[in-house]
Amino acid sequence: MNYFPWLTTIVILPIFAGSLIFVFPQRGNKIIRWYTICISVLELLLITYAFCYHFQPDDPLIQLGEDYKWINFFDFHWRLGIDGLSIGPVLLTGFITTLATLAAWPVTRDSRLFHFLMLAMYSGQIGLFSSRDLLLFFIMWELELIPVYLLLSMWGGKKRLYSATKFILYTAGGSIFLLMGVLGVGLYGSNEPTLNLETLVNQSYPVSLEIIFYIGFFIAFAVKLPIIPLHTWLPDTHGEAHYSTCMLLAGILLKMGAYGLVRINMELLPHAHSIFSPSLMIIGTIQIIYAASTSPGQRNLKKRIAYSSVSHMGFIIIGISSITDTGLNGAILQIISHGFIGAALFFLAGTSYDRIRLVFLDEMGGIAIPMPKIFTLFSSFSMASLALPGMSGFIAELIVFFGLITSQKYLLIPKILITFGMAIGIILTPIYSLSMSRQMFYGYKLFNISNSFFFDSGPRELFVSTAIFLPVIGIGIYPDFVLSLSVEKVEAILSNYFYR
Amino acid sequence: MEHIYQYAWIIPFLPLLVPLLIGSGLLFFPMATKNLRRIWAFSSILLLSIVMLFSMKLAIQQINNNSIYQYLWSWTINNDFSLEFGYLIDPLTSIMSMLITTVAILVLIYSDNYMSHDQGYLRFFAYMSFFNTSMLGLVTSSNLIQIYIFWELVGMCSYLLIGFWFTRPIAANACQKAFVTNRVGDFGLLLGILGFYWITGSFEFRDLFEIFKNLINNNEVNSLFCILCAFLLFAGAVAKSAQFPLHVWLPDAMEGPTPISALIHAATMVAAGIFLVARLLPLFLILPSIMYGISFIGIITVLLGGTLALAQKDIKISLAYSTMSQLGYMMLALGMGSYRAALFHLITHAYSKALLFLGSGSLIHSMETVVGYSPNKSQNMVLMGGLTKHVPITKTSFLIGTLSLCGIPPLACFWSKDEILNDSWIYSPIFAIIAYFTAGLTAFYMFRIYLLTFEGHLNAFLKNYSGKKSSSFYSISLWGQEGLKSINQKFLLLTLLTMNKKERVSFFSKKPYQNQINGNLRKMLRSFITIIDFDNKNISAYPHESDNTMLFPLILLILFTFFIGIIGIPFNQEGIALDILTKWLTSSMNLLDSNSENSVDSYEFLINATLSVSIAFFGIFIAFLFYKPAYSSLKNFDLINLFDKRGQKRILGDKLINIIYNWSANRGYIDAFYAKFLIKGVRGLAELVSFFDRRIIDGIPNGFGVTSFFVGEGIKYVGGGRISSYLFWYFFYVSILFLFFANIQFYF
Repeated sequence: MNYFPWLTTIVILPIFAGSLIFVFPQRGNKIIRWYTICISVLELLLITYAFCYHFQPDDPLIQLGEDYKWINFFDFHWRLGIDGLSIGPVLLTGFITTLATLAAWPVTRDSRLFHFLMLAMYSGQIGLFSSRDLLLFFIMWELELIPVYLLLSMWGGKKRLYSATKFILYTAGGSIFLLMGVLGVGLYGSNEPTLNLETLVNQSYPVSLEIIFYIGFFIAFAVKLPIIPLHTWLPDTHGEAHYSTCMLLAGILLKMGAYGLVRINMELLPHAHSIFSPSLMIIGTIQIIYAASTSPGQRNLKKRIAYSSVSHMGFIIIGISSITDTGLNGAILQIISHGFIGAALFFLAGTSYDRIRLVFLDEMGGIAIPMPKIFTLFSSFSMASLALPGMSGFIAELIVFFGLITSQKYLLIPKILITFGMAIGIILTPIYSLSMSRQMFYGYKLFNISNSFFFDSGPRELFVSTAIFLPVIGIGIYPDFVLSLSVEKVEAILSNYFYR
Repeated sequence: MEHIYQYAWIIPFLPLLVPLLIGSGLLFFPMATKNLRRIWAFSSILLLSIVMLFSMKLAIQQINNNSIYQYLWSWTINNDFSLEFGYLIDPLTSIMSMLITTVAILVLIYSDNYMSHDQGYLRFFAYMSFFNTSMLGLVTSSNLIQIYIFWELVGMCSYLLIGFWFTRPIAANACQKAFVTNRVGDFGLLLGILGFYWITGSFEFRDLFEIFKNLINNNEVNSLFCILCAFLLFAGAVAKSAQFPLHVWLPDAMEGPTPISALIHAATMVAAGIFLVARLLPLFLILPSIMYGISFIGIITVLLGGTLALAQKDIKISLAYSTMSQLGYMMLALGMGSYRAALFHLITHAYSKALLFLGSGSLIHSMETVVGYSPNKSQNMVLMGGLTKHVPITKTSFLIGTLSLCGIPPLACFWSKDEILNDSWIYSPIFAIIAYFTAGLTAFYMFRIYLLTFEGHLNAFLKNYSGKKSSSFYSISLWGQEGLKSINQKFLLLTLLTMNKKERVSFFSKKPYQNQINGNLRKMLRSFITIIDFDNKNISAYPHESDNTMLFPLILLILFTFFIGIIGIPFNQEGIALDILTKWLTSSMNLLDSNSENSVDSYEFLINATLSVSIAFFGIFIAFLFYKPAYSSLKNFDLINLFDKRGQKRILGDKLINIIYNWSANRGYIDAFYAKFLIKGVRGLAELVSFFDRRIIDGIPNGFGVTSFFVGEGIKYVGGGRISSYLFWYFFYVSILFLFFANIQFYF
């Protein structure tokens, strides 16, 4: 056994190092950038090292656990731990946030604050995924809202204040329900508040109470995931944010909702989950089709990608609500895979926006010749997003399909209808994603702007997008990279559904 | 010889090296990679030749002892389901891999020259090799999931290659159309695979067939559901093989470079649908209604493709429709259960059509220097004619391909097509009549193409079709479309030509009987020599024959076209009819246990052959009647006017020809129908949903925000912070209260 507090170090390090930025001497942005990137890379290496040597994937229990009493009077602990469910998102966070920091290289305005906020996000996200205490979960949930709000409202586009306000209102509104749920679950039953997730797993509630808790948590996570009709903050936010923020939003923040759904709704409230899962499944199907058919109607490039994310989140909902091993594994795989693909698409959209300064798709066109590398990468990622085999999106969606098919819970006809609905999404996805890349890149257009803006992507941008592309291909070809981490834990979660 | 099979996995993976290396080379050492481009082409051809030798070896093994080999590796390990990767070597696989490798090698050699001036030379070879990988992977795959994976990958390669010249808006639209249409089929394929997994719990072909057969025999499954699943599986094949409702992508796919059209859209990828149906034939055989459906779709496609090919102006599009028609023949044969005939036709057609496409590519290549690089011009048969003396070798190869496709005896397609026609008599007389009729149509449209391109005079010079002196000015550059703007709108013929691509539908449907256009149409239809002006014959360049690198594959393909029929011709040795193909396919036949005895009565064969050949000759004769070039052009000019005058009277025959012409030129109105209903529908839905999203779902929180803003403002206004108003209201209410209480006290 090792007694080094790995997880505490991992969680604390970025925000601590980030606060040191403010004591730096005023000597240009360069040093701050390099410092931030070094910290991010160090953090990523630390995460990888800790997980490599101190984590056994075949063990469904909590590992690397830490437990320090924080506030004695209501039994609030600093309790961290990693299991098969959270290791994937933590690694994803480390990866995407590091790359987002690298992507934020051109940001020069107020770069101290910007980089501090990036590092604060880093801490908040990892803290959320690794917290084993319900109240700590809530605190981390709130903690990462503030940096996102500031990042949006200070470095966004023209309508940034509107979207930042919308974002904060939506998510804060969701947080109220989360807080109510946390307090309700924590204070139920015994005289002492229990906030430890391990003990809470074994607690059972009266059905009606469980349903109320479930709804409370669900609303909070539905805002974050997002689930229709609570999704409208997402396109606005993505449309306005700087692309490094977009990478974080699409890559990680959305996945928090999905993580919370599995971690709390599924694990703590199994009865309510099995009651709600049919309607969730219908919502998921509607979401896939609805968002996929909204997407072609968008003129704004980033909003179109944002709607495609919403559509892909539908697969996660269906995977979670299928209540099968396979489906849940597929949902986790989709969390990881969309984290990569969504982040990369936003990054590429942002970099091409930096060059052509056009947002609306119908004004674009013909930029494939000046920027062949961006063209290649963008087409590859739109292929990945439309679930081309060999890339991670395909295998995730396929496994979700299997989960639905093998699910014991549903009857023949509903299964057929839901599978059919999901598969309609397969037809709609290429319509929007290919027409997006056609409108951007294909065709021929003479630009009146001087040529200096039209350099192809440089080594930094190329590195960021290839770095994301490799895991997409890797997972697509050998999905066990991710599945081997989560299989045991998924089985443990689902065994609850059969024992009770 | 067990060990050969163990290494069969290199069949798909060997060509994969090339795209990987080219990709990384372009990324890291772009200059060096571009300078060494011939080496890449050479290495891809070399690797493919190794694969070809290997698959030849496998094929010989298969002929000698029919045994099926299967190797599996597990791909994902999960408790509930495990996906496996593997390869399956059986006769079907070995036939297909032989076919793919031979055609692909020839096409690669050809395209070295064809693409040599293109900026995307390396990209082209990378795509091609990747296509070969995925196509070979498709034919060697051992389960349905693997088939689906490679199925999508070939679709993606096709998308990339159709959109190869991505600066052309037409190509951009065409590649998206192809991908989306294929996605509709993939949707069916995926659902079908899932459905059969649900029924049988297996993806492996043989397990699946066994379990399914047992289930059907014991009546354990809902037969309606089975039929639905089988139909969905078949939908995948319909889209990929360009069968009737989903054929619309194939003619548009001709926007890609011509070697692509030869390899992907004529010989291999479009045959993937046939391959899939052949692979799953044991499954479909259990469900007779699906077999009816397959043959029905097949016969519709045969007829539709044949009629649509009648009046196309673009040489490649005519060939595309002819491909579609021939694929319909194969599908028909499969639907009739004659597995062998379908595969035979697949092989012979692949070689003949590859020959034709490569020949047309050579033509286009030589025409491009004369008329310009726009596909509207260089592929336009209106501007060709009289090319015999300029490109003799291409002409010979094209003629042989044409004759083969028409079904003239010693050539390849005769044997296979005759077999299908034969079987169709046994199956259903109506289908047989349609099939024979279309055989005549095939001969007609193929000879129409041949006569228009090679006989008569070169029309490109005789006609001042653009109103400018030099052809190089207005030729649309390969990388752009802007040249179109400079075209003089007064010349009706030209507007017709240029609009044809984009606005064919609307143009024709609005005013099909307007007199002047009609006259123009008829001129083009009948003679194609509408001489407007003789004075502008200042262009010195003539089309000339392509390079040897391009002619070499053509000649090899001529040999193939001549001799590939042998594998299906029964040699009477010691009393038993024995041909190589039957021997090859024996094990599969046993699996199918139908059609295994292939007793061909030579007398009956002769009668049928005579019938089909005479129908073909009749078609050729009619083609000569219509398209025989009149060498005395001046006289012909008067004749056309005569025709026009007669046309005013609207003779029945003329009307009929007009109808057929419009039908064909408008692509059977199917594209227009899809554009009107499906595409507009999807767009309208998208608009509607995004409106709903923006106004209503987003409107609620916005309205909430605005309301709270106004409420806050109102409160702020009320509580404005003026002491005097506070005092006023305070005393006002106090006095009211006081009065009130005073009143109460007064009453009591």
